Amino acid sequence: METILRVEDICKSFAGNQVLHDVDFSAEVERIHALVGENGAGKTTLMNIIGGIHQPDEGTVYFRGEPVSFANPLHAMNRGISIVHQELSLVPNLSVAQNVFISGQTNEMVPRQKVNRFGFINWKELYADTRDLFDHVGIDIEPTTMVSKLSVSMQQLVEIAKAISFNARVLILDEPTSALSEKEIDRLFGVIRELTRKGVAIIFISHKLDEVLTIADQISVLRDGRMVDTVRTEETSRDEIIQMMVGRHIEDMYPSKSSGVGDVLFSVEGLSRRPYFHDVSFTLRRGEILGLAGLVGSGRTEAARAIFGADALDAGKIMLDGKGIQIKSPTNAIQHGICYLTEDRKTLGLFLKMLVRDNIVSAALNRFTSQLGFLRRRAIQDESMHYVDYMQIRPPTDEVEMISLSGGNQQKSLLAKWLSAKPKVLIADEPTRGVDVGAKAKLHTDLRKMAEEGIGVILISSELPEILGLSDRVVVFREGTVAALLEGDQATQEEVMKYATR
Amino acid sequence: MTKTPGAYGASGRQAATDLLRKVLGARTTTLFLTILVVSVMLTIASGGSFLSSRNLVSVLMGMTYDLLMAMGMTLVLILGGIDLSVGSVLGLSGVAITMMMSKHQPYHVGIPGAIAVGLAVAAVCGAVNGLGVAKLKIAPFIVTLSMMAVARGLGTVWTSGWYISGLPDAYLVIGQGTFLGVPYPVYIALIILAVFSIVLQRWKPLTQAFYIGHNPEAAGLSGMRVALVTGAGYVISGLLSGLAGLFMTSRLAMGFFQFGVGAELNAIAAAVIGGASFVGGSGSLVGTFLAALLIAVINNGFVLLRGDPNYKTLVQGLIVFVAIAVDAYRRRKEIRE
Repeated sequence: METILRVEDICKSFAGNQVLHDVDFSAEVERIHALVGENGAGKTTLMNIIGGIHQPDEGTVYFRGEPVSFANPLHAMNRGISIVHQELSLVPNLSVAQNVFISGQTNEMVPRQKVNRFGFINWKELYADTRDLFDHVGIDIEPTTMVSKLSVSMQQLVEIAKAISFNARVLILDEPTSALSEKEIDRLFGVIRELTRKGVAIIFISHKLDEVLTIADQISVLRDGRMVDTVRTEETSRDEIIQMMVGRHIEDMYPSKSSGVGDVLFSVEGLSRRPYFHDVSFTLRRGEILGLAGLVGSGRTEAARAIFGADALDAGKIMLDGKGIQIKSPTNAIQHGICYLTEDRKTLGLFLKMLVRDNIVSAALNRFTSQLGFLRRRAIQDESMHYVDYMQIRPPTDEVEMISLSGGNQQKSLLAKWLSAKPKVLIADEPTRGVDVGAKAKLHTDLRKMAEEGIGVILISSELPEILGLSDRVVVFREGTVAALLEGDQATQEEVMKYATR
Repeated sequence: MTKTPGAYGASGRQAATDLLRKVLGARTTTLFLTILVVSVMLTIASGGSFLSSRNLVSVLMGMTYDLLMAMGMTLVLILGGIDLSVGSVLGLSGVAITMMMSKHQPYHVGIPGAIAVGLAVAAVCGAVNGLGVAKLKIAPFIVTLSMMAVARGLGTVWTSGWYISGLPDAYLVIGQGTFLGVPYPVYIALIILAVFSIVLQRWKPLTQAFYIGHNPEAAGLSGMRVALVTGAGYVISGLLSGLAGLFMTSRLAMGFFQFGVGAELNAIAAAVIGGASFVGGSGSLVGTFLAALLIAVINNGFVLLRGDPNYKTLVQGLIVFVAIAVDAYRRRKEIRE
């Protein structure tokens, strides 16, 4: 089996932060090789080096047995290494064929310029060549179609075809299935398998271990910038992969449920804000995690925002510690101890260009101001470093910009921000979205710890296993109102789906 | 007076430092060096008269008006907005103050009363701007552009185009009095700069401006009072413009509805060259000060070397253009990193 790509002792640092340490990796033709690892482990960086986007600080890339150095991605593509990124890079206003042959640079292997003697585009040849290419790869898309009219999955296939048009011998796919449905994933896998049969080496980066175990021949695991091991899929198991990724056993995905539940801490009655939700009522007891389940659009986030004072309520009562309260604004809500961890961390929860430290205290500034209103810098530094330690945020400093952190670390910072506000009730909306296995487990443990310390936790999540694994009780939303309240063992996937749909 | 911008000062130890801070930090050094170089060039070109005390005072005074308005502009830019009315508010409050105290006018309110009225007018203009932006959610550009026209118009109508004279001597002391040869307004402006700079970095109600300008939705959902701080920002900008109007009318011993025409361009230029961005969330008062000084030095050089006054607006416009171009380049570099 020809090893077409090999990297040896690759090291790379960004701004003093070393992200790859002596990484070895190789890919063989006709094989699908998966690369897995936690957020921030270095997978994308390694691929970007192979694809010519970055230069390694140390180490060598060997392509077809010879050391190579790519000045830019186009150079790598012309030699036969292409990356299909997670964020697709097609031009929406142009046709499929135009996108595929958008780079007119001539390539030794495939003539790309579809122009005639005078420099005008030869449309017939452009569309014909595109059609041939698609047939070769096994894709059924009309080359004259405007890219903007295609679904994400079809656009992805166009990107793959474009890579193949450069006669790619190594095709790297970065999180290709995050936006696809089951059927589309099957189709993608079909195309990938067809390509392997034709002699391409495929490298597949993914978080979804089940998919990786299905399609890959080999799996390499990166952890903290080091290559842990490369194993053949048939010789390994899901647990073993996870253990390599996080360095420990994840016994149970979820911490144990509540040991004992106290009296009613928080309750809402008859909350309405038409047309988003109406007649929403539930109670939350001390020490428990209450899950809000339901399909997307069933009104959970809208109800949470209204409770938090971000939107106005038409009607309804809110009681905290037995007393009725009025919440007029988020400022008000936080004063009462009710906090809301937003669904979208980047646009609604974090200040990406500010430091981690500034973010962690952003909801709790009042706790750090002196009588005259001046901020106590020492206290702020202590608080933010405390949470950097507690939440295991990497890199372990509070003086970097939030935008430089990986998704999982950003989410941890977001939770730290709300912990710093010392809430009595925390509504966590999709707290582990876009976060890898290791960080997810940590966040789950943190949420359970909060509940045990007496903070009321309301969990909104569209991942049913997460809701079921973490919540003591589940409220099921349907079309803007509460359809059912399920106690502990009543809450099963079937029961929840039964009430959530219909 | 702190030199490092951003919400908190740098502790300076860590390897992974704030990129923005680094860029702005380099900016203040660049500005300082530029001022030095231009000053040296002007000294040589003018045969030494650039450094005469009369000329240096002229530079500092020229800087003072722009600096006051630029400080307010910096705050408004940090908040993600803009204030195009600063020049007109300068004019209108100058008109109000002088009208109230002039012996040729019917009001005869006396100096303290007149000043109070003038500053109140400035604050009200700022409050109207603030209401429009924060409560009615109208784009700052539109709101302050309207105020620019309205305030100028009010000043014109009130004075019927005539200048106001007959001001009491005691009032003129404010703008014309000197200490160690330097006029009072320069000291006052610098004191305001120092205090404002510290307050902006350390005082919670104003420091929130950085968060609010960077991401207003997240700031609101973090419990910050976005509308209140935004409105206050425009009021502060108005008051500083009013103060500039006070100094100008006192120094020139007259009220004139045309005072401050075009001043907003210099204020914006100084704030942006000093580190503020139109996108919001960043800005530096120290940078603004150095930029205002640089602009004043360049303008002074123009006069000193007897440049054609017709070209003055052109030169000022070019400075603003350079400021915007540098800002755009800086943002592109950031995105690329």
